[in-house]
Amino acid sequence: MEFAYTAEQQALRDEVQRFIQENVNEDVRSEIENTDEMSQGPLVRDLRKKVAAKGWVGISWPKEYGGQDGSRIDQYIVEEEFSRIGVGVGGAGSGAPAILAAGTEEQKKTLLPGLISGEITLALGFTEPQAGADLASLQCRAVRDGDDFVINGQKMYTSSAHYASHIYLMARTDPDAPKHRGISIFIFPMDTPGITVRPLWTIQNDPPAPIGTTYGQRRTNETFFEDVRVPATCMLGEENQGWYVGAMGLNLDRVGASRYLISVRRDEDIINWAKDNDLGGHDVSQDPAIRDRLAELWIEAQVCRLMTMRSMSLMERGDTFTYEGAAEKVWAPEHGVRTTETISQILGPYAQLMSTSEEAIEHGLFAHNLLGSFQSGINHGSVQVMRDQIARRGLGLPRG
Amino acid sequence: MDVLLNEEEEMVKNAAREFLGGECPPSLARAMEVDDLGYPPELWSQMAQLGWLGMSLPESLGGQGLPLTYLGIIMEEVGRAIAPVPFHSTMVAALTIAADGSQEQKQSVLPRVCQGDTVLTWALTERDPRFLPETIATEAVEQGDNFVISGTKMFVDNFGAAEKCLVVCRTASASDGDQGISLFLVDTGSAGISNVPLTAIARDKQSQVIFDNVSVPRSNLIGQINQGWPVVQAMIDRATVLLCAQMVGATRKDAEMGIEYAKNRAAFGRPIGSFQSIQHLCADMILWVDGAQLLTYEALWKMDQGLPSSIEISQAKSFCNDKCEAVVRSSQVIHGGIGFMMEFDLHLWFRRVTSWTMRLGTSFEHRSKIAKALLDQPGRVRLGMNLEPVP
Repeated sequence: MEFAYTAEQQALRDEVQRFIQENVNEDVRSEIENTDEMSQGPLVRDLRKKVAAKGWVGISWPKEYGGQDGSRIDQYIVEEEFSRIGVGVGGAGSGAPAILAAGTEEQKKTLLPGLISGEITLALGFTEPQAGADLASLQCRAVRDGDDFVINGQKMYTSSAHYASHIYLMARTDPDAPKHRGISIFIFPMDTPGITVRPLWTIQNDPPAPIGTTYGQRRTNETFFEDVRVPATCMLGEENQGWYVGAMGLNLDRVGASRYLISVRRDEDIINWAKDNDLGGHDVSQDPAIRDRLAELWIEAQVCRLMTMRSMSLMERGDTFTYEGAAEKVWAPEHGVRTTETISQILGPYAQLMSTSEEAIEHGLFAHNLLGSFQSGINHGSVQVMRDQIARRGLGLPRG
Repeated sequence: MDVLLNEEEEMVKNAAREFLGGECPPSLARAMEVDDLGYPPELWSQMAQLGWLGMSLPESLGGQGLPLTYLGIIMEEVGRAIAPVPFHSTMVAALTIAADGSQEQKQSVLPRVCQGDTVLTWALTERDPRFLPETIATEAVEQGDNFVISGTKMFVDNFGAAEKCLVVCRTASASDGDQGISLFLVDTGSAGISNVPLTAIARDKQSQVIFDNVSVPRSNLIGQINQGWPVVQAMIDRATVLLCAQMVGATRKDAEMGIEYAKNRAAFGRPIGSFQSIQHLCADMILWVDGAQLLTYEALWKMDQGLPSSIEISQAKSFCNDKCEAVVRSSQVIHGGIGFMMEFDLHLWFRRVTSWTMRLGTSFEHRSKIAKALLDQPGRVRLGMNLEPVP
């Protein structure tokens, strides 16, 4: 065991922090603040290019596809620092690991460098109106027609579909097979004819959630596919093996800096706020009940951190998860909810004031966080589904 | 950064698990609960032969000089097997002598510890069970070349089996420069000592020990006179993190027994482990014990590296107190009525882990220390930072 970063890793962190100081000025900050955090304004796009040029995106990916053959821990360090300023540089959610594992040489060469430079972005097209937790019951159809597939169906919560360059789609290719064995994955451009994106506005839209809010996204989408014709070469992995390719990518996307940080940042925020502020003269940091609760939450946040470090350590060793990724995905989101709900009982009525309210504490961060934090326990596999996985795959308990 | 065990650590763990699996069945723990001495001397010698007793003691004194993390791993396995041996109390006292004793004291005690020829313990707590210098009223008064100790200590482990005991005494009132606390190595057979056994839920060997004008030679003073509190604090820290390791080991085994039972016990025509309510409880049990283990390893590692670790130790103990208890209670719940029966083994773990949650600092005490570090010093906090304790 080794519970510290190496001198090289610490130096990398220092370098990233310096880079951020030098390159993220007020204008960039203001663009991050004023656009949906997932979207890419011109300054943020520029910033991403500079970050990619430093070799800081996809550090652990192979060099031949634009990565550095580097350490997963180094990648974590870069992700953590950028995640703290509200810029995701991780390398594209669950799509990239799936491409690395299951893509053809051609797919890797055309997609991965673009994912690193930011020229390619993937919208996730998994969930459907009738297929959420039970994702394998999805109905979106892809029917082979010569060298093409023709896709028809509807996807829900395709968050970045209104600006992403490509969609990473799960569709049914064999309706007669058992439900997990008739699914395939396709990656193709969003400007393919027949795709319609319709906005779905979240409860964070009006007034807008401040940057850094856990699930502060103002907008997501539903996306419709009507006779969308794509070449068969868009298929990722083998036909009807898409469930396993997708699940593997999701598994790897459940861990890492951004997922960990969205659940623990409020612990830092409330403690730092309480050190420097009071409520009309009442110093909440000296209330014994509040102190005990904050310490308890701080300990839980350490567990979140250590579970993330455990996932990173496993990946760094080239091992696979049995239940550790799911463990992280249960513990951190539920912790985030406990923290944000506790904060509302520390700040009382002030914690309900939203971003546009003059009197709001920290620009309404805590109020908006209360609206969003529970989402992290739902997205990318709910905590209930994660517990099923831990029990069955991790502990070998029998199916019901 | 790699929070998993490395190859050598894994080997030490596996060897310890294999040995204790063969030599230390639950029936031994059961037998020792009603044994006067409270531990099997043969097992103790075997542990010495395996090098466990000298694991983290200096090589020059017969030990192996390995990092404290290795001792922690052994402690975890001893906890897993609920091995009825005076391992914790002996190691806590021995490590304190190794760190702060004189050359003579080390020479006279530590080689015998490594060889398994002696058992040690330590006596700190009095009526007020908090870990503060002002709770120490037991006095050591200088008389010629001796100190004369009078007072009552509570919750002393293995006093009957121990040959020597480190006793925390007041030698002066607190001043600006120090807390007036001194530490003495006392022969347990000295005149004036009475040992009153306490009956605790772990059914282990805890005592109230009364010192009535017990004379100790000056040469048995550990460290400097009146300057003993930092030595005591370091002893408490080591004791706490090693107890966490023991709790983690016992708790994981207890969780595994609950999960195994859920796979085999049928109700409503199917294994109860196929019901989601039980599955999710089992998932939580594993997450809780994993969290306790990660916090404990981090604390052990930092202590071994000589880094500030007292906040990490408090994190580990507070979490262990709450979550290890939740695990062993949940395992009892999964077992239903049978877990409440004396003839079934599960309670051997339940009673010990439960007892250990109350030793070496309650959750409130540890969290109070963490809250001070978080809230009562300037600067911004950030997850992953080194948090220094506030005195």
